[in-house]
This record gives sequence, structure tokens and C-alpha cells, in this order.
Amino acid sequence: MDTKITDVSQMFERFQAAFARKDYNTCTTLLSELKVLLTEFKSLPPLFQETPNNIRELTLARDIYEYAVVLSVKIEDQDTFERDFFQLKPYYTDSRGRLPPSAQEYPILGLNLLRLLVQNRIAEFHTELELLPPNALENPCIKHAVELEQSFMEGAYNRVLSARQTVPHETYVYFMDLLAKTVRDEIAGCSEKAYDSLSMKDARQMLLFSSDQELTEYINEEHPEWEIKNGFVFFQRSKDATPCKEIPSLQLINQTLSYARELERIV
Amino acid sequence: MTQDIEMEQRPTPSNSIATNSPSALQHLKDIASLVETGAYTREVRRIARAIRSTIQLRKNLTTSVLSAFLNFVLVPGSEVYSRLLSYLPKEDENDMEVDSATSSVQAPAKHSLPEIEIYCYLLVLIFLIDQKKYSEAKACSSASISRLKNLNRRTVDVLASRLYFYYSLSYELTGDLAELRGSLLALHRIATLRHDELGQETLLNLLLRNYLHYNLYDQAEKLRSKAPRFEAHSNQQFCRYLFYLGKIRTIQLEYTDAKESLLQASRKAPASALGFRVQCNKWAIIVRLLLGEIPERTVFMQKGMEKALRPYFELTNAVRIGDLELFKTVAEKFSITFSSDRTNNLIVRLRHNVIRTGVRNISISYSKISLADVAKKLRLDSPNPVADAESIVSKAIRDGAIDATLDHANGWIVSKETRDIYSTNEPQIAFNSRIAFCLNMHNEAVRALRFPPNSHKEKESAEKRRERHQQEQELAKHIAEEDDDEF
Repeated sequence: MDTKITDVSQMFERFQAAFARKDYNTCTTLLSELKVLLTEFKSLPPLFQETPNNIRELTLARDIYEYAVVLSVKIEDQDTFERDFFQLKPYYTDSRGRLPPSAQEYPILGLNLLRLLVQNRIAEFHTELELLPPNALENPCIKHAVELEQSFMEGAYNRVLSARQTVPHETYVYFMDLLAKTVRDEIAGCSEKAYDSLSMKDARQMLLFSSDQELTEYINEEHPEWEIKNGFVFFQRSKDATPCKEIPSLQLINQTLSYARELERIV
Repeated sequence: MTQDIEMEQRPTPSNSIATNSPSALQHLKDIASLVETGAYTREVRRIARAIRSTIQLRKNLTTSVLSAFLNFVLVPGSEVYSRLLSYLPKEDENDMEVDSATSSVQAPAKHSLPEIEIYCYLLVLIFLIDQKKYSEAKACSSASISRLKNLNRRTVDVLASRLYFYYSLSYELTGDLAELRGSLLALHRIATLRHDELGQETLLNLLLRNYLHYNLYDQAEKLRSKAPRFEAHSNQQFCRYLFYLGKIRTIQLEYTDAKESLLQASRKAPASALGFRVQCNKWAIIVRLLLGEIPERTVFMQKGMEKALRPYFELTNAVRIGDLELFKTVAEKFSITFSSDRTNNLIVRLRHNVIRTGVRNISISYSKISLADVAKKLRLDSPNPVADAESIVSKAIRDGAIDATLDHANGWIVSKETRDIYSTNEPQIAFNSRIAFCLNMHNEAVRALRFPPNSHKEKESAEKRRERHQQEQELAKHIAEEDDDEF
């Protein structure tokens, strides 16, 4: 058993070295080998067998998965992130009694919250949030994500964007950039409904573009129904609920007939 | 989270219960014979009645009564007998002798039915829990569960479902709910295989409760959506199910469905289950606030709930006015209550509803107002209040909370004139949906009228029944053939 642990730790050291010099391709290959090796440890979830080395094995496995999550952010792969995170999660939830808490726990949980926010999976965001103990909300990493969600729901998009400057962890930057794009789409959706027209300059500022060129491209791509005229952007607003001119007679007849039928059944 | 326990404790009508112990013993004997006849005639309803009357006797149980009863119904010296007796605390011998003397008057049953055996387990378990002897209760319940796994009788199901409940309760009281999960899942599987619907219902609720105790909403929802559903057998279990369902849906932001389940749960719950109804109401109030509704004052004035709902009343008030400062003070003032109710995170979500109400109030009162004033009125504490106000208002417009237009160049909002609603089809649609609701309600009420099977005719023999089935089938075939002919 001990030889296995040494094997894994040695390979993990090589992985860390590759990670430090940002050789992510090597990291990925090493990681899949590590994961295969980890399956031989009986003390890991879901078995949780009591073996003499179980604490060491658990800690090692947890470290490996933590690195895996961070790696997936570095290579900007959200699906891998999700998979690795779910593999890591039992080490936080089900091994609380066995292992001392990891220093990486809250940064990674916060990262996951941010990911759910970026992917607009708000229901899952709240489900994850409920799992955290009350004092965890004080942690800067978690608090960051929670406040972002609030600002996002309120519509205070400026606050979301300025939060990029105050990220608690360097890995957060990737998701914050993605969030900026989500925010732009949201702002565009809101502006469309709220304004009749905007000057090009204002629209550019609001949608966070640096040049009119970019703005025009964005409009052509995402919102072809908007119209650009004399330096203004006109939103084609759908006219809703005009007073009815006709009586929807067929519908009324159907309804009245169904009432009659139901009443017949009652009386 | 005591509402479930309270649900069990009905106020016992004092006239039906004598106070001295010998007649409590007599009652128990009556119940035992009820269980026995129920077992012989295979009538589950009798056993259900036996359990109801046991709950009424609950307060009168003492060690001596119990040991005398065990002595009477079980074979002394048998394994069950000695095991159950070992759980009971020792008491003075005199009392016991008197009781066993009275019991010897009647002919003691020499054989013990499995139903009686399980009933004894249940009785001892209830007693142990009432006496707060939780570790004994745990041992007793585990023993009873392992016995139950070997029994496959429909008449035991009712008793078993009660046992499951106390099994889980005894573990919850000692705080070891997590270790029970595997065992409950196994029991649920067994109940499903045996088509024991009442057991499935009870166990599903216990599992949901187990998950929700640890805030595992994801697992709870996965189990709930995969578990087989059927028409509810027990009202209490159905209420609980609705409550748990409501909680899960609230967390997952399905507020409309959550509101429906929570309100239904609080309406269906028996009047005596006050704790449960208070809990339902608390959640329902928050869900309604999150939906942008303001609950009526009568909700907070329900009998026996005023005090418990007080924090939620003040919260509602803050949301109604749309005052962010007041909202913050209330949330801080009652933060202990909210965190013990585990509604803290939901209240954090309410913040944006408060702002929304504020925006709506402003838009109703002014036909044109500058964004700087809006920011001041909303008391937004941010470095750039005007820009924040602008984006908040524009989101409110998109979500349909207010009907207005923004003018960016001049920095103001123009509210639109409210148009004449009666010139549209909307009143017609609203009227139709209400009529449809009433008609639907009537139809469901008619469908829900239940008749006990075969209550109106004599018991038919197996042969007669087979004959009747055959006739019915033939008739059905004829009708089907006729249908075919027609087309």
C-alpha cells in the first residue's frame, strides 16, 4: 500500500512542477494518470474504508482534485471544471469529520458559485449556497460571489463590473471576464426595453465598447433589429397590448359553450 | 424543527381516558384485541384505529403498565419479551404484582401474532421517547426494524410506517440522522418491492427530512423526482411531503409552485399541529414576498401564531414600504430568529424585491422624475448612485415591474399613462380563468368523494367475485366491439 502512495505522491510532485512552469499539456496527461491511480485507494469516497493510511490518502486525493479544478480554470474548460468539482466535493462534505479543512476549500467553492452565476444557473447557485455553514458567508471568496449575485439580480451592473478589480483570488479573473459578457447581453436587453433611442456615444459607454466600430459589429451580430441613424441607435420596440378592435367571437362562443356543459353536469 | 413531533401530540380528550393505571392497562388490552381481530380479518383500518387510540393513551403510560401489558400479550420467556423488557427502566415490584394479578383473570394469549409483537415494539418505543431515554429508544427501534425486514404482511404495514417514523425520530433526537440514511433507503426499496404504499410515503418523507436537515436540497430533489408517486394514503404524510416539496422549490427559485405547496400544506394540516402550520406559514410568507405579493394582515393574526410570525410581519412591512434602511434593520434585529428558521439566505434574496417595490412606488407617484432623485429616494449607497439607479430602473422596466421610459440624455424617467384596461381583452381572460378555477374545483371535489370498498353490499365470496369480474370483462368486451362496429 505504501508504495502506491509514494508512487502517487511522486507523480503529483511532477504534476505540481509542470503546473508551476505552466506546462498545462503535461499537467493534463499526468492528471488523468493520477486519477486512474487514485481509484486503487479503498479509503476514498464512496467506499471510505478504514485503512491505516486513510488520512494520508484522503488528503493526497483532495490536493490532487483541488489542483485539477484550478487547472481546468487555467485551460478555460468549464465542463472539466464541473466534473472535477463534483469529484472534489465529497472531500469537503462527507469527509469533514476525518480531515482537517483545506485552505483551498472556500476559494474553490466560491469559484464554483461564480461559474454557476456565469452560466446563469441561479437555482443551482442557491442550492450550493444553502450547503455552506453561516460563518462561511463571511469568507471573502464566498461573499464576493454572493454580492455579485445580488447586484446582478438588482440590475446594478456597474457594481458587477467594478467587482472585477477586487477579485479575492487570481483564478477568479477568468470567470469575471465571462461574466462581463453576460452583463453586456443583459444591459443590451434592458436598454432595448427602457429607451426609445440612445446616442452612439452613450450606447458605446453603456455596453462597454471602446470604439463605435465594435458597437456596430455587436449590433449587427446580436441585435439586427436595432437601427442606427444620424448617430443614434433606435430600438424597435414591440408595441404590446393594443386595444382590441374585434371581438374574439369564436373564442367567446367556445368558452360559453363549455360553461354551459359544465353547469349541465352540476345541476 | 419540532413541528413533526407536535403533529403527533393531539390534545387528548380527557373524558375518554381514565387517570389510573389499571384502566390504562385495560385500554391497552382492548387495543391489543383490536389489533388481533384486525390481523385475523385482514382489515387494515382496525389496526389504524388501534394506533390512533394508542396515541391518545400516550400520557398515561408507565413502566408498570407496560411490563404488565407485555406480560399479558407476549409469551413470557420468549426472545421478544425479554428483549423488550430489558429496555424498560426498573421500578418497584409491588405495582407489577398487582397488575399481573389482574391480568391473570383473563386467559393469557399463548401464541403471539407478528402484529402484536410489532405493536409492542411500537408501544415501548413511544414510551422510551416520551421518557427521553433516547439511546434505549435507538436500540429498540433498530431491533424492531431488523425484525420488520423479515415480515411481509399487509396488516403490519400500518404499524411499520409508524415504527419507521419513531425510528428516524429517535436518531434525530440524538443528532445522528446522517448515519440512518442508508438504512432508510434500503427500507424504502423494500417497501417499494412489497407495494407497501403507506410505508413508501412515510419513508420518502423521512428521507426528505433527513436530506433537508443537512440542507442537501439537490439530493432531496433528485430522490423526490425519481421516487414513485401515488395517491396519498395518510393526510399527515401528504402535508409533510408538501411542506418539504415547498422548501425544495423555494430554494430552487420556483416560487409559484413553492407557494402553492406551502399554502396547501398549511391548509391541510390538522388544526392541532400548530408548530407545523407556523413553519409552513413562515416559508409561505417569504415565498409570497419573493413573488412580489404582500400577504394580508390576517395571515399574521392567526390564532396562536402572532408571536412566532412577528419578525416576518415586520419584514413584510419593510418590503411593502420599499425602504431599504428599514429592511436592513429588521433583518439584523431578528437575525437570530431567521437563522434558527434557516431562512437567512432567503431574506438576503428579498433585498432586490425591496428595491423593486421602491422603484414601483416612485414610478406610480411621479410622472417624471430625475434619476438623481430616484437614487436618493432608494437610498442606494454606492459610489455611482445615478448610474446604478439607471440600470436598476431599466431592469425593472424589462422585467415588467414598471411601465416607463428612460431618457438618458436628460437623465430622467417618464412614467407612461396607465391605459384603459377595459379596452383590452384582459378582463375577459381573467374572468375566464376564475370561472375555470371554480369549475375545476367542483369537479375535483366530486372526484374526491370516497366510498369505502364494499361498504354497501354484503361480503362476496371469492367465487362470486370471480364470477362478477368475468361478467364485467365480457361486458367491457362487448362495448369495445360495439365501438369498433360503429366506426
